[in-house]
Amino acid sequence: MYFDSLQQLLWMNGHGIYVWSSFVISILVMVGLIVRPLKQKQVAIKNIELQIKLQASKQAATQQEVADAPHS
Amino acid sequence: MNFNLQWTWFHRLGSPRWFYQKTQRWLPWLAVITLALLAVGLIWGLAIAPPDAKQGNSFRIIYLHVPASVVALAGYYIMAISGAVGLIWRIKLSFMLMRSAAPIGAALTFIALVTGAIWGKPTWGAYWVWDARITSMLILLFLYFGVIALRHTYSNNESADKAGAVLSLVGMVNVPIIYKSVDWWQTLHQPATIKFTSAPSMHPDMFAPLVVMIIGFYSFYSLALILYTRAEILRREYRASWAKQLVSHQPAEK
Repeated sequence: MYFDSLQQLLWMNGHGIYVWSSFVISILVMVGLIVRPLKQKQVAIKNIELQIKLQASKQAATQQEVADAPHS
Repeated sequence: MNFNLQWTWFHRLGSPRWFYQKTQRWLPWLAVITLALLAVGLIWGLAIAPPDAKQGNSFRIIYLHVPASVVALAGYYIMAISGAVGLIWRIKLSFMLMRSAAPIGAALTFIALVTGAIWGKPTWGAYWVWDARITSMLILLFLYFGVIALRHTYSNNESADKAGAVLSLVGMVNVPIIYKSVDWWQTLHQPATIKFTSAPSMHPDMFAPLVVMIIGFYSFYSLALILYTRAEILRREYRASWAKQLVSHQPAEK
């Protein structure tokens, strides 16, 4: 390690504020780049689940119609 | 026949389903490798490497600024080439990659600009200068924004894909300008630290962690690109039977 103490590592002879703010901003943006697609994926999965339910209810409705149709 | 085999490979690669299933296994490995590289690179660069003789400790911003810039530029090529492949061979997956590359590229360009501005304060005495390199990077950010925005201006995916691909390709003109800006215009921004044609203008103790960070950022980029593309595939393929099967078989999958 170049620095003697944690305080020095944080202070960096007055440049700490620049280095660490760059670090925090970069990390936050990068975490966002991982979290956002995971959230988008959840939304997409919910949409597909909805599609499956719609399809099932449509099928049930047509089967019901066939069953209700008067037999001649 | 050999020729036919090659083309089945090409088409399989273009299948969203194949991509989705294949990348599932890669993700944990890629995540671990990325985290390890970034952790090693950052600890090495921020705490272990010696400070710069002229700039002191503020030079440590290089370990975020340079990797973000390098990958933001490479990411533009990836986006534009994906767009071109999509236009030429009409491969859906290629357009999905193009769209996924846009927000990642924009975010990395943003990191490059912000860390550059913060670095500028102790080094040049100003956060922002209308220097050739900085201005052309700002244009890169706007190009990325343009590709993202085009997605929302069309109601159908196909037109949006084509428009995005054309904009990406036209914007490619800017990339060599960014690379060369520090040589063409003698302004504030320092010349490239790493060149293919000569040895790096940096001490090995400082250079090694930078290489680790650049590889780490490329690894991070691949991880983010795969995650975005997988979300995009599920968003678009909601009618496909394989996607429905996938969701109904594993409803708790995250």
